[in-house]
Amino acid sequence: MRRPTRWLAVALLVAGCTVAADAPDYSRVPRWTTRAIPEARGEIRPEAGGRRVAVRYPGWPTTDYEKFRTYAYDDFRPEPTVSRATAPTGITGDPKTGRALFLNRQKGPCTGCHLVPGDDVWPAGSVGPDLSTIGDRKLPDGYLYQQLWDPRVVFPLTVMPPWGLQGVFTPEELVHLVAYLQTLHGPAAPEKDRDRNPFTRAKPVGFGDNLDPTNNPGVVRAEDAEALWKEGGPAGKACADCHAGGAATAMRGVATKYPRHLPAWGRVMSIEDFLAVHAPATTGRALPVESADNVSLTMLVKMASNGLPVAVDVSSPEARAALARGRASFVRRVGERNHACADCHTPEQGANKFLGGRYLADATSGLTRHFPTWRTSVNDAWDLRRRFQWCMTPLGMNMLAADSVEYAELELYLTQFDNGKPVSVPGIRH
Amino acid sequence: MSDIGKVRLRLPSTIKVGDVVQVRCLIIHPMERIERDKAGKIIDKKYNYINKVVVTYLGKTVSTFDTTQSVSENPYFAFTLKATDPGTVTVTFHDTLGGKYEGTAQIAFG
Repeated sequence: MRRPTRWLAVALLVAGCTVAADAPDYSRVPRWTTRAIPEARGEIRPEAGGRRVAVRYPGWPTTDYEKFRTYAYDDFRPEPTVSRATAPTGITGDPKTGRALFLNRQKGPCTGCHLVPGDDVWPAGSVGPDLSTIGDRKLPDGYLYQQLWDPRVVFPLTVMPPWGLQGVFTPEELVHLVAYLQTLHGPAAPEKDRDRNPFTRAKPVGFGDNLDPTNNPGVVRAEDAEALWKEGGPAGKACADCHAGGAATAMRGVATKYPRHLPAWGRVMSIEDFLAVHAPATTGRALPVESADNVSLTMLVKMASNGLPVAVDVSSPEARAALARGRASFVRRVGERNHACADCHTPEQGANKFLGGRYLADATSGLTRHFPTWRTSVNDAWDLRRRFQWCMTPLGMNMLAADSVEYAELELYLTQFDNGKPVSVPGIRH
Repeated sequence: MSDIGKVRLRLPSTIKVGDVVQVRCLIIHPMERIERDKAGKIIDKKYNYINKVVVTYLGKTVSTFDTTQSVSENPYFAFTLKATDPGTVTVTFHDTLGGKYEGTAQIAFG
């Protein structure tokens, strides 16, 4: 009697595992023509002289990273092959040059993840090991060189980029860096400032009540959209004409279900994506993704769900297929630095540690339910898509259109971690 | 931001006669900072920032603040006053370009 029961349990377990690990299927990915503002489409503009310039938001870098892998579902380039290397001969490393390279913000900076001695090391991060006394370990120069060139030879799952292989540092620069690391000996000098050291630094405390209009300018911005809600578009209709009772009543609970798969459009859409197609179809008003009106109206719609638990669909076949692709994007290594979202935003890797002075958020704790959020550093409200696009730019990768299917499915994957937790829009963050 | 001059005022939800209450306010304002050209020279222009904040209660001016460019964009101010009678608290912000922006809140005893 016991044997069949045990087999049944094993069979159920196997079936359960299969469900949990849906393989991503890219054969039926919907095609999409972007409805975003020109700065948010991820376009590349060729200039006179053959130079190619990436079109991004005002003030953002315009470097074209076409050499590097992106999140696009039709980008089939593989991750860079693991590469062995030995230091070039005939160069003597200079520790002083190496230290300057270690701190150079145009390069790594290595200090973004690693602590080293010096009051000018500010702010150092804690994603990687503290290197303050690495020289005491008497590691061979060749080993350190390989670690900097491509650490995956020794640590296949490392979050450290293959700096040499990707061309961020030249072989000569790596020799200087190795020479510098070999000079770092203990005992470490006593710490003068606990905030210099990311392992003892105080955690950020946030910005107080995000729903208080005297505290969060985002709330004032969202109230702008009340006028938009009532104002008729070129077709003569306003949102208020079909959705009776005011935005707060008519939209109550709507945002908890987004992003969701919409059969009419054959794809997963966030509120922002949907407004960009729904507003022109009904009111005649263009509401392109990443326009100020789109973000403001999204905030207004989401505020109507404040306090209600997020409840995105993760069970329909369409949602499961999108989730599988979103999850694959989350762990896909992309860009010049060969990073994945998971490198910085899962507790097993960088989450809840400092990247330079920035405290890395944990995606698995749910970090989408306060978007669009007010960013004190730029004095503007950003939705999750612009946050994605900004995340990816410093990583050396061309961004996709803000309303791309890839981003929508990644957003769905991130949002399911918020399921059951209350919506709180607009948030306020650095 | 197009919302320049929007003011939000907040008072505690319940106030009793004689309470010292905190008034909190936020104004959407660019509070322009000194700009420099490529050579590091200060660009000579009329910078737009709030240089005076006036608080009135029951029709009387109870406080004025002189502010400078060192105050942040979209500034937040908080101050206390003694709630003696029901009436209106008005906070008026004046900027260097002549802009005048006002926010009000009602003190009522519940």
